[in-house]
Amino acid sequence: MTLSTVERFGAGTAEADELFQMDEDAFRLFYERTARSVWAYLSRMTGDPRLADDLLQETYYRFLRATHAPTDEAHRKNYLFRIATNLVYDTRRRPRVDAVPMHDHLEHADPRQPDHAAGAARRVDLSRAMARLKPRERALLWLAYAQGSSHKEIADTLGLKAASIKLLLFRARRRLAALLGEGAR
Amino acid sequence: MTECTREPEVIEAIAQGRHLDELRDHLARCAACAEIAAMAAMFRDERRAAVGDAHIPAAGTVWWRSTIRARAEAARTVSQPITLAQGIAGACAIGLASGLAALAWRLLPASFSDLILSIDARREEFATASALVLQHALPLALGLAACLVIAPLALYLALADD
Repeated sequence: MTLSTVERFGAGTAEADELFQMDEDAFRLFYERTARSVWAYLSRMTGDPRLADDLLQETYYRFLRATHAPTDEAHRKNYLFRIATNLVYDTRRRPRVDAVPMHDHLEHADPRQPDHAAGAARRVDLSRAMARLKPRERALLWLAYAQGSSHKEIADTLGLKAASIKLLLFRARRRLAALLGEGAR
Repeated sequence: MTECTREPEVIEAIAQGRHLDELRDHLARCAACAEIAAMAAMFRDERRAAVGDAHIPAAGTVWWRSTIRARAEAARTVSQPITLAQGIAGACAIGLASGLAALAWRLLPASFSDLILSIDARREEFATASALVLQHALPLALGLAACLVIAPLALYLALADD
């Protein structure tokens, strides 16, 4: 498939709108509201900002191409995070050799600024502990505490039963606390 | 450590950025909620930092890339049956050519059987007979070889985009 073929089939913008479940203006608004949160989620789930860049594009592409995407804003956002979560899970099944740990840049924090250094150190601890969690535990904790999602929203995003979220979250939290405790020792 | 019924309240307060003064007494008594408060605050800070770090592409860029990709996929979907038909047609042409070649070989003039007989009868004229066989077989073999070379080439040219 060459560009000439693509061009032959892509005559105008109207056709692009037909390919997607929302028009360009609606997409721009939705993207502006959600992209940073999605990137933060992808970045912390994968531990690799470069991979997060790629997955961000893929997430929105799959979202646009979805045939049964929800129409209301809250569900759309959950759906977007669900796509992102599935992509992260898929990525973890494929080995990567060029991944850059996300806390590498934090280790160069300026030690002359105590608050900044302490904050950076805390973030390094958290990212190291997060890296040792299972992907589902990581997703649960991020959605609950970073995103502030309800148990119902987390269940929608991760494809789990709402009733099981409380227990799973409790276990994930205990595990993270244990890992952070190990790191502090 | 056990769960606490006030956990959602703590999480909500942190999510909304409210001060935890009103929950201070409870947090002092409840280890579970204190842990949640500490963890949620840590995650909030991490999220704030991550959102600050994010260098996301413009919405228009993401839309444009998605459009290009969607069109390419649509084009590929449309062209699949055509490619398949062309492939089948090419295979049929090769099969037909081979069949015709085989038929032509069988319908060679009786001179071929005469030739065999003449080989048996007059071995001394073997060299002449060989030349005769070559004379008949060579064009046929060349035709067949040409088919085998030209057919994939024709197929490639038919399927190539440019």
